[in-house]
Amino acid sequence: MNDRPPTRIQQAALVLLRTLVGWHFAYEGLVKLVWPAWSRAGVPLARFSSASYLRSSTGPLADAFRALADASWLPWLDVLMAWSLLVVGVLLMLGLFTQLACAGALALLALFYLSWLPTRGVYEPGTEGNYLLVNKNLVEAAAVAVVFAFRTGRIAGLDLVLARRRAGESPAEA
Amino acid sequence: MNLTPEQQELGRRNFMRALAGTPAVAALGAAAAVKGPVRGGPVRLGFIGLGGEGRLLLEQTDPRYGEAVALCDINPDQLKRAADALVKTGRAPVAHHADWKEMLQKERLEGVVIATPLSTHADITVGCLEAGLHVLCEKMMAWDGASGRRMAEAAKRARRVLEIGHQRFYNPVYQAAYEGIVKAGLLGDVYHARLVWHRNGSWRRQADLPSPDFTAAQWGYPTFDHLVNWRLYKQYSRGHMAELASHMVAITDWFFGSTAETAVGSGGVYRFKDGREVPDHTYVTLEYPGGRTAVFTSIESNAFDDYYEAYYGTKGTLILKGEIDAYLFEEGASPGESKATGIAVAPKTGPVGSASESRAADAAGAGKGKGAATGGGDRLAAYRHEIDGFCGAVRTAAPLKCGPERALASARACIAGFEAVERKTRIGVEA
Repeated sequence: MNDRPPTRIQQAALVLLRTLVGWHFAYEGLVKLVWPAWSRAGVPLARFSSASYLRSSTGPLADAFRALADASWLPWLDVLMAWSLLVVGVLLMLGLFTQLACAGALALLALFYLSWLPTRGVYEPGTEGNYLLVNKNLVEAAAVAVVFAFRTGRIAGLDLVLARRRAGESPAEA
Repeated sequence: MNLTPEQQELGRRNFMRALAGTPAVAALGAAAAVKGPVRGGPVRLGFIGLGGEGRLLLEQTDPRYGEAVALCDINPDQLKRAADALVKTGRAPVAHHADWKEMLQKERLEGVVIATPLSTHADITVGCLEAGLHVLCEKMMAWDGASGRRMAEAAKRARRVLEIGHQRFYNPVYQAAYEGIVKAGLLGDVYHARLVWHRNGSWRRQADLPSPDFTAAQWGYPTFDHLVNWRLYKQYSRGHMAELASHMVAITDWFFGSTAETAVGSGGVYRFKDGREVPDHTYVTLEYPGGRTAVFTSIESNAFDDYYEAYYGTKGTLILKGEIDAYLFEEGASPGESKATGIAVAPKTGPVGSASESRAADAAGAGKGKGAATGGGDRLAAYRHEIDGFCGAVRTAAPLKCGPERALASARACIAGFEAVERKTRIGVEA
């Protein structure tokens, strides 16, 4: 087993991966929260609702997710989801509480994956490709797992700053 | 321009064929591809001037784009009708004002829609722009070149949107005709355009005094008739040239890619000697650079020709009729012949979306399965698109399709045309 720390280029790649995943989460959340809003082409955007997404759920858990679509508290769930995406995304980009953010990202991705489990292996409306078991949610979850496993907040980010500050404050480590 | 049903069918088919595969009106938002959304709800609008045109704009305002917040008109009857229009379209009643300045002070507005007599456009527009509001002002832009410039400069200074109500620029028929036919060069070299707006009516409107104590004089109109029929009096109106020709001239400038240099005019009050001051028959030839000529005629004595713009090129003829129908004919082939057009349709590049195709189908009118005699409903869509576009520009700085510069250029030509008719001579268009 090679215990050597990642090289600089490996570290940079890991931080880049974390930042990109963070951007994706943050922007998904921001767009959902920005309503009422307009596209840059000057067209009003419809308010975000996960109802249509939930209604088109596939896979063994589809019924449970479809039932959610008609829940009276769905609007609250939508807001919670949007804020979760934004917060997780921002934390990942900043490298702050990275491990916690990764856990949150994995939980969200697990929800998205389970609500739209690709078991049919053919093109589904609303998707841009053909998937069987593995789709982009799962791939992104794997990317988050990598970010989690390498503790990238300690490579670059506010976690590193905090860690250094704590180390500076601790006489034992001084 | 009256075509037989066979000619209409052929011309419409040619138009559609030439448009096939072009982006037409779509892809206008392509520049927005890498930008996120802009926060904001419907634009809070005040409506100033609620005669027929103002009410039409009010009715066509999509509540997702613009929210009518207040109405303003010096005639209480117009306000009542506008209020009815709001109710009819399922919207809540809003505040009424007689004075636009009072409306600006009392209401929290973001923009105004101005549909008042031509002579008032500049003062109201500049006042609203200086108050920090965005303005959609009805055509013709301004009384003269100086006031038009004043409006354009006020918009620049205030960094506010100023759009002029030449709704043809928002009409899918015209967008498709420009993109798919004119810009594509399918007409060849166009040396001549015919702009026709023929009617058989007096243009005089009847209205009752809103109340016995209503006095138009307090608003600067010597009589109530002057207020109701301001279009007929030179103090407020530039007649056919402002009210009808300016639309067609603006489109012709766009299609020609240039603006008129001189105007030759004739006409007068020939039929309705009822005290009106503006001609009921107007004939104006506008001369463009490069030997191009547009001839505008408007008569109040025969409606057989109705209204249309026709562009005659060395390779083809494009006719845009009644704002809803478009016909394309190959030059050399009689429009009555049933043979297919020989106009080559060049392969088109760029984004091609289903939306554009449906727009194109819409544009030609053929997609709806109606004949050329259809009218009304689809024509109104251009007004809707115009207000949508204005609100979109307010929210996101999306580009305007007409804009003050283009509107001012056509206004200058129409002002010269009006004066040329008055003096029955040739007049240079203000540069």
